[in-house]
Amino acid sequence: MRIAEKRAWSVSALLLLLPAWWIAHRSTTFIASPAEVFVHLPGFLADPGTWLNIGVTLWRVAAGLALGVAAGFFAAFAMRHSRLLREVLGYYVTGALRTPSAIAAILAVAIFRGSEAGYIAVVAFITFPYMAVGLRDGLESADRELDELAQIYHLGLWPQIRHITAPFVAPFIFSALRNAHALAWKVIVVAEIFGAARTGFGAAFEHAWNYMLMVEVHLWLLVFMAIVLLAEYGVIRRLETFVFRWRG
Amino acid sequence: MSAPDTVLKVADLGVSYGAATAISRLDFEIRRGEFVAILGPSGCGKSSLLNAISGLMAPSRGRVVVDGDELYLPRSRDPRLGYVFQAHRLLPWRTVKQNLEIVLAASDVPRETWDARIDEILGILHIAQFRDSWPMRLSGGQRQRVSIARALLVDPSYILMDEPLSTLDEVTARSLRQELTGICQRTGATVVFVTHSIREAVYLADRILILTRGPSTIFEDYRVPIERPRDYDDARIAEVEADIIRRIQAPWGLGPAEERQSA
Repeated sequence: MRIAEKRAWSVSALLLLLPAWWIAHRSTTFIASPAEVFVHLPGFLADPGTWLNIGVTLWRVAAGLALGVAAGFFAAFAMRHSRLLREVLGYYVTGALRTPSAIAAILAVAIFRGSEAGYIAVVAFITFPYMAVGLRDGLESADRELDELAQIYHLGLWPQIRHITAPFVAPFIFSALRNAHALAWKVIVVAEIFGAARTGFGAAFEHAWNYMLMVEVHLWLLVFMAIVLLAEYGVIRRLETFVFRWRG
Repeated sequence: MSAPDTVLKVADLGVSYGAATAISRLDFEIRRGEFVAILGPSGCGKSSLLNAISGLMAPSRGRVVVDGDELYLPRSRDPRLGYVFQAHRLLPWRTVKQNLEIVLAASDVPRETWDARIDEILGILHIAQFRDSWPMRLSGGQRQRVSIARALLVDPSYILMDEPLSTLDEVTARSLRQELTGICQRTGATVVFVTHSIREAVYLADRILILTRGPSTIFEDYRVPIERPRDYDDARIAEVEADIIRRIQAPWGLGPAEERQSA
């Protein structure tokens, strides 16, 4: 499929939301009409407060995700190389994987008393098991034949990690990263709402909801969707295309 | 006492996995520039032998000496060798040039000479035009050529080839066999070539080490009595092949059906 054709289909899929939205608006009393929301969109986007809230949440997601990825990497390598650590960390990974996001958010907010660290910690806690499990699976399926190749040609540890191991596990990393990223956005909003945050997307959304400012609620939903789609298609998929350009 | 141009010396080599013995006892030497084929029935320990002489796995017994340095001693140097695997084992995420560069990076070849060296080797193997291609875009034969280029690149003491043509179609394999003899003569490479095909061994090798069934020993060190250049369809190749089949019947326990299959 050509790029133009692909884009046309993507836009059409998004535009399909409009009639569904309009029907929902006609059938309920609390869903604003698409027209009303789009009229307010320029003013909403021109407000510096909007960007401040987006920036704060973005920072929390990015920092939490970075921590979660780092912890996941550490856990995966530890589990791969030590049977004892595999047993011990295995419980933590399983526990974190099965913990509901809302419970994790409440616990983090309670432990960190609503401080900035709490929001970052909850994102890290929820995302790290996805990275750990994904990367561990990748390392476990590592090709023994490529290890022999490295040994025959005397590749050192770092060149072996850089040129063989990392590219080999890259598909596992991307798959885990995509799950972790999607989950990070879901949990941060819950955490910001439960934590009674003063800034951030969740805080702004809750404020609008409490005062029944439905147009604002819709605007924040639109912004949320735009950010998540931009991160997925504008960053992660582009990076993936670059990393896997050899697939042709 | 070894000859002065001995590259590889294997003495009293034995390989066991627990109670199971793969190689009972092997003794042989390979001289610089020789092309030696190793022929043996399935399960006779050919892979174990390759692992032992490539430095991948210490034998249970005996010595492996490469260019005068004994492997598997605490302070022994890593052998500089090339390896052409049955499957090409190219890294699909690196271009042909990049696949060759990581081998050069791990060697002591000066960086400023890399490009010229890569171009030279790719030229010898007639794949210079694929220098910047991804391995996925190449045919099976072209990938195996890159694998051979990689093995030749660092001027190795010897090159191990583990049935490198067995996965290719017959037309490609024929062409590569022919080129392989030319390349080895031009570069003076020393080659240890494992194969199941008796005709291939006769066509390519100066000597054929015929192994017994496992746990293996050398049944015969056979010198191929045909001068080079050789023709794969030459009647003399077929005669030598038939002669080897006659010799291996008893030690390999071949009946008429297996005989036809091995041939």
